[in-house]
Amino acid sequence: MGASDHLFAWLRSALGHIDPRTDRPQGFVRFGVAAYVALVVALGLIYFAKAVDRLGGEASRNVAAKYDDREFGGGNSLGVDKEALTEARARIPEHAAYRLLVGHDAADLLNYVRYFLMPRRPDPDATWVLCYRCDGAVLGNGIHVVWANDAGITLGRLSG
Amino acid sequence: MSVRSLLGLAIGNLVVLGVGCCLLWGARGLRSWAELARLSGLAYLIGVATLGVVLSVELVAGVPFGVATIMVPCLVVALAGLVLGRLLGRPRPRLHGGDPRGIGFVAASYGALLVVYVEALFRASRLAPLSNYDGWAFWVPKAEAIYFLGGLDEQFFGQLPNPTYPPLVPALEAAAFHAMGSADVVTLHVQFWCFLTGFVAAVGGLLAPRVHAALLWPVLLFVLVAPRVVARSLEPQADFLLDYFFVLAALLVGLWLLDRRAWQLGVASLFLGGAMVTKREGALLAVCVMVAALVASWRTRRFAWPRIVLAGGCALALAAPWRIWFSSRGLTGEFPTSGFLGLFEHLDRPWPALQSVAKTMLDYELWLLVLPLAGLAIALALVSGARLLPVYATLVYGLSVAGFVWVLWSFTEIPLPFAQDEGVNPIVRLCGSLVLLSAGLVPLLLDAAWRGGDRGDRQG
Repeated sequence: MGASDHLFAWLRSALGHIDPRTDRPQGFVRFGVAAYVALVVALGLIYFAKAVDRLGGEASRNVAAKYDDREFGGGNSLGVDKEALTEARARIPEHAAYRLLVGHDAADLLNYVRYFLMPRRPDPDATWVLCYRCDGAVLGNGIHVVWANDAGITLGRLSG
Repeated sequence: MSVRSLLGLAIGNLVVLGVGCCLLWGARGLRSWAELARLSGLAYLIGVATLGVVLSVELVAGVPFGVATIMVPCLVVALAGLVLGRLLGRPRPRLHGGDPRGIGFVAASYGALLVVYVEALFRASRLAPLSNYDGWAFWVPKAEAIYFLGGLDEQFFGQLPNPTYPPLVPALEAAAFHAMGSADVVTLHVQFWCFLTGFVAAVGGLLAPRVHAALLWPVLLFVLVAPRVVARSLEPQADFLLDYFFVLAALLVGLWLLDRRAWQLGVASLFLGGAMVTKREGALLAVCVMVAALVASWRTRRFAWPRIVLAGGCALALAAPWRIWFSSRGLTGEFPTSGFLGLFEHLDRPWPALQSVAKTMLDYELWLLVLPLAGLAIALALVSGARLLPVYATLVYGLSVAGFVWVLWSFTEIPLPFAQDEGVNPIVRLCGSLVLLSAGLVPLLLDAAWRGGDRGDRQG
């Protein structure tokens, strides 16, 4: 018996297991399982290639990203003022608290700044104040401005 | 972002694997080192669940969080596993004694594909920025608070969104920060890669001796390449870890229904407890698994029910400390705004809720055909004459869908029909648990269909 005969016999035996005409309903079920696996294999391989391609692209983008973009993460899509937050992180001591004053509808910004400035903690009574495009009047005269920019962001300390 | 962070993370995860191996040996016994290698993914996730639960209890108890409070429980738990093994007379793993058949062509080919896949995930995660909203809005800040402030700071946690979400993931993230030596939120993604890799190895290792390779590996790969899994599984939040615990618990309960080996139910109970301490919907999913097991074991209820109830009780006990902690501090938001019975005042909601859940589950762009094919696998198993597994699987899927509909119905602040962006859509997250569940249950169902009935006790 040649190698091709062996292969043919093996194939015939294998296909015999999934012949829906024999051994009902088991032959029918096995045919269903074989068709099922064929579909899963085909779709799986197509989407495997797509997944690896997508992940490769993502890896390349991550490698090419600047340090700042990686550091700010979700802040990039929020459009936060990177310079201001970097200054705040540099000037407010790690274990100090700060008061964050923001404009209306700024819940996302509030969450982001709280995350970015950790381990500095937000506290409504803190002497450090970060006014992020807030109403300047709330700052009053008692604040010593440590840093400010033209975008309406002020970092300061309240006296006393 | 440094080699030091990666190295620290690798050492930290090896410690967790070691703890899990000791527990697995104590609970199950391991015949050989080859068997230990096969079950290393399961051992790793046992270590993750155990350490996560223990660290959560420590946090609730007010124990200062640091390297010592991570390492001491690791040593104690590992020792407990070894003592349990000695008490139960477990033999030492032998050097030889693996499967003499070796790895077949299909398993080897798919093994290579899986290695390529997880390697691609690793490269993508290695330098990924923290862009995910929930990640930076509260999951990672909670972890940073634990890391920097040394525990659960009531005032800080109270200010964050979702303060009642359980602390297992933030605790594990804080432990990862300690392992890395800094709050490196970029390298933190690699920790979630470890969870995913452990999950793949756990499902593969559990099912490899029971299910033909051609039925196991293609299904596992198919689930893993679903677009949503590819895009979101490495985000530093709790959804996927919850799914891993849920899937392994449901799979082990399914295997226990077939084999009736005590360790399977014991470890399932640990994973259910872990799921409940990971996210609040963990409790919902745990109830689904328990009820499904109770109904599926109706014929043997005298033997099965006390054990299932005990396993459920143990899981609940693991989750109790966190519930006591946040309830005693007046933190709210855990339960539906309409109350448990208030949902009957909103009878216009169940139908659109069901539509939203069904639409999400069948979304090809998110999950390919995983869930319709899971339904087909159940049907094939039923037609072939199997009963136990298809009934159990139908109940787990069905009860979970009912639970998801209940979530949408009773949380009346959620607008219906629900059409939120998939990135922040809670129903998409919930349905993910059933998609990943298919990686564990579908191969078993197909195996039952092929063989023409339920068949128990083949190693596992």
